[in-house]
Formats: sequence, C-alpha cells, structure tokens
Amino acid sequence: SFEQALDTPQASAAVVGVLTAAAFALRFYKINQPDQVVFDEVHFGKFASYYISRQYYFDVHPPFAKLLFGLAGWFVGFDGHFTFENIGDSYSDNHVPYVGMRALPAILGSLTIPVVYAIMKETGYSTLIAAFSAIIVLFDNAHVAQSRLILLDATLMFFMSLTIYSYVRFRKLRYWEFSVEWWSWLIATGFFMACTWGSKVNGILTVVTIGVAVLIDLWDILDHKKGHTMELFWKHFMARAIGLIVVPVIIYLSFFYVHFAVLTHSGSGDTFMSPAFQETLIGNELLLNSQELRYYDTVTLMHKDTKVFLHSHVERYPLTYEDGRVSSQGQQVTGYGHEDSNNNWQIIPTKALPETGPGRIVRHEDLIQLLHVNTQSFLLTHDVASPLMPTNQEFTTWPKDNHSRFNDTLFYLNLVDGNEGDAWKSKSSHFRLVHAPTRVSMWTHSKQLPDWAFKQQEINGNKNPTEKSATWFVDSIISQEGGYSLMLDDDELKEPKKMSFFKKFAELQLLMLQHNAGLTASHPYASSPINWPFLLSGISFWTENDTQKQIYLIGNVVGWWTCIISLSIFIGIIGADLLARRRGLTPLTEPTRNRLWNSAGFFVVIWAVHYLPFFVMSRQLFIHHYLPSHIASALVAGAVLSFILSDTVNYPISIAGRSTRRRPEELADLGVQGPVVVGVFAILMFVMFLYMSPLTYGTPGLDGETVNQKRLLSSWTLHFAAKTNAEVIP
Amino acid sequence: MRPPQVELDFGTPPGTPPRTSSDFEEVPYPADHHWATAQQQESLPLHYMSEDTATRRRVARGPGSSGGFLSGDEHEGEMQYDDEGKDVYSKSRPAKGRVSSGRIRRPPPPPPTSISEFISQNLEHLPPAIYTLLSCWTRFHKIGHSGVVVWDEAHFGKFGSHYLKREFYFDVHPPLGKMLVGLAGLLAGYDGSFEFKSGAEYSDNVPYVAMRVMMATFGVAMVPLGWYTAVELGLSSWACHLVALMVLCDVAWLCISRFILLDSMLLFFTFTTVFFLTKFHNQQYQSFSFDWWLWLAMTGISIGCVTSVKWIGLFITAVVGLYTIEDLWDKFGDLKMSYRDQIRHWAARVLCLIVLPILVYMMSFKIHFLILNHSGPGDAQMSSLFQAHLVGNDFSRNPLEVAYGSKITLKNMGWGGGLLHSHVQTYPAGSTQQQVTCYHYKDDNNDWVVLPRWDESEYNPNDPLHFLQDGDVIRLQHAATTRNLHSHNVPAPVTKLNNEVSCYGNATIGDYHDYWKVEVVDDIKQGSKDKVDRIHSLTTRLRFRHDTLGCYLRAANSVLPQWGYKQIEVSCDKENNPNDPHTYWNVESHWNDRLPPADTKFFKSPFLRDFWHLNVAMMTSNNALIPDPDKDDILASNPTDWPWMHLGLRMCGWGDHQPKYYLLGTPIIWWGGSASLVVSFIVLGVYLFRHQRKYIDMDSREWDHFLYVGKIAFYGWFLHYAPFFIMGRVTYVHHYLPTLYFSVLMFSHLLDHFIFSSRRWKEKTKKISFGVCAFLIVANFWWFRGLAWGIDGPINEHWGLLWRKSWNIYNA
Repeated sequence: SFEQALDTPQASAAVVGVLTAAAFALRFYKINQPDQVVFDEVHFGKFASYYISRQYYFDVHPPFAKLLFGLAGWFVGFDGHFTFENIGDSYSDNHVPYVGMRALPAILGSLTIPVVYAIMKETGYSTLIAAFSAIIVLFDNAHVAQSRLILLDATLMFFMSLTIYSYVRFRKLRYWEFSVEWWSWLIATGFFMACTWGSKVNGILTVVTIGVAVLIDLWDILDHKKGHTMELFWKHFMARAIGLIVVPVIIYLSFFYVHFAVLTHSGSGDTFMSPAFQETLIGNELLLNSQELRYYDTVTLMHKDTKVFLHSHVERYPLTYEDGRVSSQGQQVTGYGHEDSNNNWQIIPTKALPETGPGRIVRHEDLIQLLHVNTQSFLLTHDVASPLMPTNQEFTTWPKDNHSRFNDTLFYLNLVDGNEGDAWKSKSSHFRLVHAPTRVSMWTHSKQLPDWAFKQQEINGNKNPTEKSATWFVDSIISQEGGYSLMLDDDELKEPKKMSFFKKFAELQLLMLQHNAGLTASHPYASSPINWPFLLSGISFWTENDTQKQIYLIGNVVGWWTCIISLSIFIGIIGADLLARRRGLTPLTEPTRNRLWNSAGFFVVIWAVHYLPFFVMSRQLFIHHYLPSHIASALVAGAVLSFILSDTVNYPISIAGRSTRRRPEELADLGVQGPVVVGVFAILMFVMFLYMSPLTYGTPGLDGETVNQKRLLSSWTLHFAAKTNAEVIP
Repeated sequence: MRPPQVELDFGTPPGTPPRTSSDFEEVPYPADHHWATAQQQESLPLHYMSEDTATRRRVARGPGSSGGFLSGDEHEGEMQYDDEGKDVYSKSRPAKGRVSSGRIRRPPPPPPTSISEFISQNLEHLPPAIYTLLSCWTRFHKIGHSGVVVWDEAHFGKFGSHYLKREFYFDVHPPLGKMLVGLAGLLAGYDGSFEFKSGAEYSDNVPYVAMRVMMATFGVAMVPLGWYTAVELGLSSWACHLVALMVLCDVAWLCISRFILLDSMLLFFTFTTVFFLTKFHNQQYQSFSFDWWLWLAMTGISIGCVTSVKWIGLFITAVVGLYTIEDLWDKFGDLKMSYRDQIRHWAARVLCLIVLPILVYMMSFKIHFLILNHSGPGDAQMSSLFQAHLVGNDFSRNPLEVAYGSKITLKNMGWGGGLLHSHVQTYPAGSTQQQVTCYHYKDDNNDWVVLPRWDESEYNPNDPLHFLQDGDVIRLQHAATTRNLHSHNVPAPVTKLNNEVSCYGNATIGDYHDYWKVEVVDDIKQGSKDKVDRIHSLTTRLRFRHDTLGCYLRAANSVLPQWGYKQIEVSCDKENNPNDPHTYWNVESHWNDRLPPADTKFFKSPFLRDFWHLNVAMMTSNNALIPDPDKDDILASNPTDWPWMHLGLRMCGWGDHQPKYYLLGTPIIWWGGSASLVVSFIVLGVYLFRHQRKYIDMDSREWDHFLYVGKIAFYGWFLHYAPFFIMGRVTYVHHYLPTLYFSVLMFSHLLDHFIFSSRRWKEKTKKISFGVCAFLIVANFWWFRGLAWGIDGPINEHWGLLWRKSWNIYNA
C-alpha cells in the first residue's frame, strides 16, 4: 500500500530531503533582512566580536554557542570593530558581515528538522507521523524567527534534539549492551548533552531529562525479577557514569578552556571577577596599578557596591534627629561620590615599625587607625545609633591629639579571602574594616542623609562583621611618605599573572549562577510561563518606524495549539488508562500501551522538564524559553496523532539481542485517513505560516489595518496597529 | 513455592498482652508474635517465608497500587488465601477485617463493675493527664511577668479591642482567632479602651494576665493532643511519651503560646486536625459508622477553624487532601465495593472536607460582620455599599445625585479596590509628574472636584445646577493640590503596557489630556444603563474613558514600589474590556452644599459579596507584604534559617530592667526533627532499594505502618515548609512552628521504628534509650527555659545560651 511504500528507506530519505530543503529555504529566505541589530543580537553579536578582539567579557550563559558565533564571524572576515551597541544599529553602514554570522543558527535551525524527523522514525512511528512532527517545527514562525538571527537558541535546540536522538538510539540497543554501537551512542548522548548545556544555561534541563530517563532505566535493571546480578548493575552504572558524567564534564570544561584561552585581554567583564582573576588579563587596570600599601601612605577608600569614597568634613551631626533620637554631635563621616581632598585618609600604625623595608607594608588583620588628613582626626565608631538606622552604629572622628578614646579608633583590616601575611594592595585588595572594641564593620548603603549632610550617603557600623556588602577597596594612593623608593618596575608588573584553569572555571561558574538568579529586573515583553503553550504573548524583536516593519516573535497558532491539545489528549488517555486499570479493565493492547507510556511518556518528560522549572524561577522569562519544550510537544503531538489514527504501531523496534524473546511483529497502518490528515494539516500550517510571515521576516512593512488583522489574539502587542476607537458599551 | 520439607511451628500467640513495668499497656503488633517465634527458629530460610507474605500482598491490592494509606482494603478479612490453614495471622485478625496501619484496634472493655476496675481500665489516661498538668504549669508560670505589650500583642490585642468596641477594622488574617482574643477580653472584663502600642505598659483596666491565660490554654491543650495523636498513629507507648515530652518542652511553642497572639490557636487547631484525621483513619475499618462520620466531620470542622485563624491553615488542609486522594484512589481500585458505596464515599468526603470547612470559614466571617457594625479604621477596604450601613458612617447623608462642582471620592470596584488618590510626591521616572494611586485609607487627598472642560465656561456656583450624566466629558480636579487628573502616552510604572496616569497643571493650567468621558455601566438600584438618568453616589457604576487616548482609568492590584508608598498603581488601560471590574468606579463620599442630603434608606450589601470582597482585599494586602530591599528588617528570616535554628527572634525590648523573651526552639527537638527528616529519606531509599533486590526487611503490616506514619509526618512537614520558598511575602521564625509538629512526629516515628518498636533490642536497651532521650529533652528545655519565662537583669550576665553564633541573644 501507499503506507508501506512510504516506509521504505528510499521514500523516507526522499521525505526527509524535501523537509530539510524546505527548512533551509524558509530559514535562509531574506536572511539579510533587516540589516540592523535585532533584539538580543545586541548581546550575542557583541560577545562574538569580543572573541575576535580577544577582550574578556562576562555573561550568564556558557560559552559554546558564543564561541561558534565568534568562529563564524572570524570565518566570514568580521574584524570585531563593531560592538552591537543598540537595537537598530545598521550593519551595512558599519560593514559587518552579519549574513555569515546569521547563517550559523540558520543552518543549525534547519538541521533540527531532519533530527526531529529521525527521532520519530527511530522511535517507531511511520513516515507520515514523523513528517507530521517535523512539519510542526518546520513551519513554525517562532522557530524560523529565532533561528535566523544571532541568538543562542538555535544551537541549543539543535544539540538538544541530537541528544534525544542519540539517547533513543542508545536505548534501542539495550539488548546489545556493551557493544561498540551501544558505547558509541552512549558517548554521543553525553557529548551532545554537553554541547546543549554549553550553549545556554537552560541546557541543564536536557541534562536533567536524560538523568531522569537513566535513573528509571537503572531502577529497572536493579529489579530482581529481571534476574540481573549486582555486578551487572554496577557495570551498567559505571558505563553511564562514564558516558553521561565524565565525558560531558570534560567536553563542558573544554569549552571554558577555549574560552579562557581566547579571551586573554582586559575587557568589559573584568569588574565581575576577583582581583586575582583580573590580574591574569593583559592590560587590566589592577594589573597595571595595584601596589602594596605601606604605613603612613595617604589613600582614598571606596565602597565596592555603591562606589562612594569614605569622606569626612568639619560639619557635625545635629544634636537630635527628626525622630527624636540624639547623636554624639561628632564630626560627620559620610560617603561621597566625587573626588575631593576630604576623601584623603592616612594609614597610621599601632605597632612599632622598622625604618624601611617590607616591615612597613600593611597586612591582613593588622590593627590600624585612619587619620582624616584635612581635619587631623581619627576615624571612630561607638555605641551611638547612626542617623538613619537605629540598629547600626554612628561613625565620626576624634581629634588626633586627644588620646582619651584611643581604643575606639582602632580597626582591624580584614582582607576578603585573605590569609595571614597577605599584603594590603590598592585596587585589588577588597577588605572590611572591623572596629576592634565593638566588632561592627564599616558599611554604607544607598540612602542619602538629609540636607545637613549635603545629601551625602550615610556611613554606619553594621553589626555583622562579615557583612558581604561592607566591602571596600583602596582606590588611589594620594601620597607616600617614608624612606622607600616610589619607582616601580613597569615591565615586571605588566606581565599577566597565572591562575589555574580550574580556579578560573570555578569562579566563573559560581558568578554565572549568581547572576542568572539575579536577572529579575522587569522587561516589557517578559511573560509568565503559563502563557507560553497557548501563545498568549510574543516579543517585539525589532521595529522600523518609517516603513512600519517589525519582527514579532510569535509561534504558528495552528502548530502550537495542536501541540497543547495533543498534550491534553495524552494526559486524558493516560488518566483514563490508569482509572480503567484500577477498575480491572485493559482497554489498550500491550504494544500500544507500551508505546504510549514509554515513548510518548518520554517525550512528555522532556516537555515537562524543559517547561515546569520555569514556574519556580524568579528571573526574567521570555516565550523563547519555551521553544525546546515546543519541540518536545511536537514529538508528543506525533505520538498522539498516531494513537488517534490507528491502534497499530511498528513493533518491536528495539534491536533484538541474541537471547531476546521473539515477539509478534506488527506494522503501523494509518489507513487512508493518515495521508489526508497529515496533508491537510501541512497545508494549514503553511498557510498560517505565510499569513504571519511579515512579522517573522520583518518584511514587508504593514499598514495599521493589516497589523490589526495579523493580531489574532488580543493579547499580542504588535506595533503600528491602527487605532480602534474603544467601543461604548451597548 | 515453599519446599515441603520445612516444618513450621509458630507456637500459639499469647492470650493476654504482656504488661510492662510502666503503668501503660504495651500493645505488641500481631506481627511480633510471628517474628518473635521465627527468630527462634534460626535455621528457617526466611526467603521462603516472605514469598508467601508477598503473595498475600499481591492479592489484597488492586493493580497499580503501591502501598497507599489503606493498602489492605476493607475486604481483606473476607479474602480467601491459598494457604488459609497455615496463615498465622488469621487467628488474631478481627473477623471484619482491618486497616493495616494506625492504632491496633482492641475490642472495647466490658463495663467496669467496681471502682478499681474503672481505674485500671482508664489507667492509660493517667500519663497524658500528668503531662497536661505539667503543661499548665509551664504555660501559666509567671505569665504576667512582663507588664508591657510584647511583640505582636500590639496587633492582635488591638484587633481584640476592635471587637469589643465593634468598630470595623481590616487585617490580613481571617477573623476567628481575633474574635477569640476579643472573647477572652470580654470574659476577662476588658472594655476595649487600651491602644496596645508596642512596648507600652499595660494600664490597670487591661486584664492582660487573664487574656494571656486564656490564649495559653490553647497551648496547654497541645500536649494531650500530641499524646493522643501519637496513640492514634499507633506509635509505641515509649514514642507517645516522647511526642508529649517534646511538645511540652519546646521553648518556642511555649514562648509563643504565652502571649496574646494567634499562634497558640493556630497550633491548637493544627494539632486537632491531625488528631481527628488519625482518629478517622482508625475508623476506616467500619465505613459509615457513627464514629466514622463523627471523626470525618470533626476533621472538616477543624480544617475550617484552622484556616479561619490564619491562611497557613491551608497547608494542613492540603495534608488532609493528599490523605483523602490516596484513600479514595485505594477505594476506587476496590472492585468488590458497590457503586453505591463508591459514591457514598466520595459524597462523604465532599460534604465533610469541602462543604463543612467552607461553612465554618464563612460562618466566622458572618459573625465578624455581625459584631463589627460600627465604622472604624478598616472601612475603606470594603465596598462603598458595605460602608454605608456601618453605624457612624455618614454616606447616607451624601447628596444623591452628582452635579458639576460636587466634591467626590471615587472608589474602585475591583475586588479589594481602593480610593482614587493623589499626593504631592512625583513619579521618579516616566513623566515625573504628580503620582496618582489607589489608597485604602481616608484622607483629604482622595477628594476630587467635578469640573467642566477647559473649553467650556468655568464652573460658577451661582449658575443653575448641572447634573452629571452619562457621556459627559469632564475634568477631575484633585482638591488638595488643584491639579487635574491626566493621562498621556507614557508607559505606566508597573503595568508598562498601559498609559501612565498623573496629576498635571493647576486650576488654570491644563490641556485636553485632562478630559475624561463618563460612561455609566449600570446602577445597582436603578438597574441597567438606559434607566440611569443621573449619576448617583454609591450605587452607579462608572467607567472613565480618556477622551483623547481612548484608554480607561484602571486600578488592578499591582503595587507600586517604596517611592509610591506601596500604594496601588493607577493606569490607563488601552484595551477596552467592558467586563473588567477594575475599570469600574463608584462615587463614595459626595459633598455639595447646593444639594439636599439623600434621605433614601440604603440597600443591603449581600453577605457573599462582602465576604468575597474582604477575602480578595486580604489576599492583596498579604501579597503586598513583600520584603523591602531598601529596609534592613532584622526580625525577618528566610525559610532556610529555620530547620537548623540559624536565627532566633527578640520579641521585646532588650533593656536591662525588663523581662526579655526570645523566640527560639529547644535545640535538640529542632535539630533532631530536621535530622530525622533527612534520615527518613535515606531510610526510605535504602528500603526501596533492598525491596527492588527482594530483600524482605518488614512484613506488609509493618511496612504499611512505617509508610503511613512517615507519610503523615513528611507530607505535613513538606507542605508546611516548601510553600514559604515560593511565597513572595516576608517570613518570620514563627511561621515554622506548625511545621515543627511534623518534624517532631517524624523524629518520634523514626526513634520508634529503630529503637522502641524494633525487634532488635532488649527491653532494657529500650528503657535506657528512652531515659536518655527524655533526659536530654527535659534538660535542654530547662537550660533554655528563661527564653520563654522571661530573662531578668542584664542579658550578658546569663551564661551559656549562645549555642550558635548567629543568635542575637547577647548584646554584642
């Protein structure tokens, strides 16, 4: 029949060829449009240019996909001069070979289609069903829009689908355990998994998916009924540990190794890193300017978070504050944002010093005094409430010649992550100043004092001596006294220092995690995950006012709603099956039920693991975070369609081993309705794709009325909509 | 199959349960008999034994079951086993079949014939009675020592006063707990006149000691409840003692119960819910009996009470929900049960666990509304209509029909909506013009004057009256600053897709962006729109459409940041959703000297509407209690700080001459409980792992019991703890107190499992370990007793309290 004819390898190859060709055509169509920076190209284009100019940058995503962009850029001759500052900056005017860079995601995005097809095919669905799943991704506006721009998602999704494909191949060889092929697909899974995770932080979800599948698999092997020994179990366990932990970790680390090896110069990412890290970068300010501090040096101290100088002036605290509390009426100590001679403090020792030499260097945990140079008074804090915060101690100063409160002027210098004997350095040493008698740390916050302190920032004593935000550093050395040479050997200092790769990696990885969690600022196009499967809102990527062109990231309504309906049907079938079996009924045949639970169930797990975690994330979320889940839901849709059309499946599909029990073979037969349904669906998808394509390709421009027509859901916020007068309620 | 050559002799089970040296009956599981004898037969290959146990387990369950609460269904007794003749349990099994977890059921004793028999029959109630007396002592000891308003007494004492004065107030918590505070005040003879300022000294007319004692009584009851819950759970008597001791000796529970706070009631009702649930579980063998209905209904009522005290009670509701789902799933798989019984089971759950709690919850609000019939500080949270019939409110004297020149306040009609408000502060971003917000309290900044457009002739008080009508385009002037309500094409601060609404210009300066078209939706009294002739205060529902932009004035419940004083954002919605109540407004107060006051008797505000309105308002305020990054709140803590007692909480001033209370648990109870939760996970993992490899560690009854108690404890703990992580609001240490109960249960359960009910140890070992545990708990309590009873004198003179560096007990 037609069905069997389609399922021959030649026919299958022809179908996949057509689909792939279509995918390339749709993704490369007018890829040079617009010749402007679009949406997050601002970031990822910029990072690519940093790789080419080798300047260090910081980003929350791992470097693999960005390295590929850098490579693509280098390949097409981009010299890194253009920095992608703003959305809408012109590429043509700046002679950027952007088409070459956009080609990379377009190629990967196109290649995702045959992989999706292959997953379905390998899982035992017929050619038609596999084509159906592929078509959902092929004609999807969101996938097309996302993969023809310099964005990370196409890479992520390509490797994610490859990971799934490899894992399916691996599972099918389960009766050929430890064979060469088995090992190859296991290691391929690990390799692609590392690439997925290395492309974008979300790739970790793919790792979790495979982890869940492997755990279920191992639990089965453990089952005593299967008659496996513990030795065999441990062998399986170790194999997976090697293939899915050791290999991916090595690959993942190697991305970072290349990342650090390429980015050797100081750049925009320096300030995120620790001083030790910064000093490994060529041309870094710390590397050039950091010096050891000696007693009697006059310095300025800057607060790390709020970037204000420790400042004092002759004005005094008012006797009483507005809320009726009383001050010490001492000299004010404030935080001040600008350079001023009142920021100068001299480091005074509390111990006997040698005349010259390294003995004069200030070190970690030294007990020091700070002398305010202009007023010749010592920094002091005491048990008096600060002006703004009753819980914190007031900072003031005490005249130099009056020794009555000597103890209150003593501070410990605690270097952050300091070890005994470490020298205090300007710029690079972060430190906390902890008051010796009361154990408060000098702290400031962004709240301003009233007019009596000229709206400068409050400095107070924080009761937590290890408070993270109480970190300061020496910004500059104003003058040096004492008998040692000021001459510094420039050549010696400019040589970048070494730091072990693993230390660098650990530091960066930790920072990435922290910053990822910290991306909570609101964004007009951020949306909550519940909106995504229903396509309730999109993202405005780019607009051009003169021609009324715009790119709006939104999926193909037909495809997305098919997917979400399929998911609901799947849950319905599974629920009904559970209930029925609980009542002792078995409505499904064993092969159908197996397929539904094991293969469609696996797809649903992929979908859920790539989707549900977003509900508990508090970071900014966008609809393109759903795209990996959308691919998974396309797989589910195929499985569900197959279930609806026919109760036959291709069975068995695992490669039988030497001693595997023979099972009755069965071939899927969708009947006549199969080609009809898939054909009609393909046409519908294509028509809808074409209808929405002006928003996807950003061309041609649309007049207001047309924009209103394209706005299929009222929640889409398209630009250039014609004004409709709000109707008066009848 | 069992090899035939093995001969089994299990002996006969002892006729009467053995008595221990203590005063309580030690009830061994029937399983023990079997094991005790099996242990003697060391050569017996256990592997074969367990296989027939496994066979039995398979028969008893429906397909797909994985050991629910009720595995081993009601008909187990009627099951016919292949090996019936050899079944060692069959003799000790009650004829009707039984639930395989929970308390072992004993037949009721014969009626006592003499006093001594009566005493011996009820001897098991002696220990809980003693614990209750001890609990009275710890809870009431020195309860009036601190004569000042401690901590949240400032809130809850005040709310109690409002009930006595019958003034309407607003708070984020449901009313039951506060009404009980009010009741305590009433019984103690308090007249409601005290202000309850934080830290203030109680005046002579406040019977605060009596009120505290009444609150602490709820705390006293926790101890016997803990004991009987442990009994009902089927823990050994050793473990029952431990549960009671831990409940008795936890300093945090003690401390929080001794003041006029809601927590003692919340804890009490949480405890009763668990107790009733376990009671109900033990009645499962006789569905639809009187006792079965009684405990199911009591569970429902208890759920209703706990949620009517604080919404945190919803967590315990979720525990009951999980239990019920699993239970019903088990029943669903019972193919022998008739359809009628299936339906009856479902109906009973719906009735007792859904309908009943909702009724209790609504009842508490009904009483709340009935008591608070005077105007008070919470008026503005409610709809205008509701306010109109509060005693002391003058809305009914408003002129009825709004005219040009009227001064009005506008109330948003979305659930929980406030009054349209503006103040001199400006937006920090956007247009930087004067802020317009929605505000829940009454002040002069809510007043607006209805004025004609700029292009019309200026309003003149001497002109003939011109009433406001549907479709009029007007200007709304903010009375206090004379600026005009204004909107323009600038994104609103929070809802960026809407236009910003601001106040702009003054009495003479303005532009066409100040024009608003009045659109009538309908009138509650006059009916649909076409019947509305003139706009009436209170009853007419209006929308304001910006004349040039076409957007609608809207206040949904999004909260402005600190610069907007956490008031509600007002924006202009570009979408026209005619059904969006957040764009509906009504005129609330109305002043116009030229109009006569309305003499209409105002209409009833339906209870359900008020109930829903108040609940939405509570929800909105609760969500607005988010941690303020600008403010360093030393009292607030993170959920991660709780299980290991990272932080305590100073409940009052820390001066040398006042008694000081510090909210901190008894470390051994908190740490032991948290550790036991970790251990329970590991143990479960190990058991499952061994089960998968076909090692038999327990028979099915023991396994079911282990799972049943473990599930109650773990679900309870998890559902009372995890939600705090996703909640946006500020959290405090005392939010962990209901959670602690479940970690105590888990702790006792594991001790019971590994020591007191384990076959591995000798009786003597068990006694010694119990002695050690009890001693540690009591000693630990005694060490920290001052935290709850009040520490006198300078704090730094008390030694040895700082067990973790992060506690701020001592003054640095």
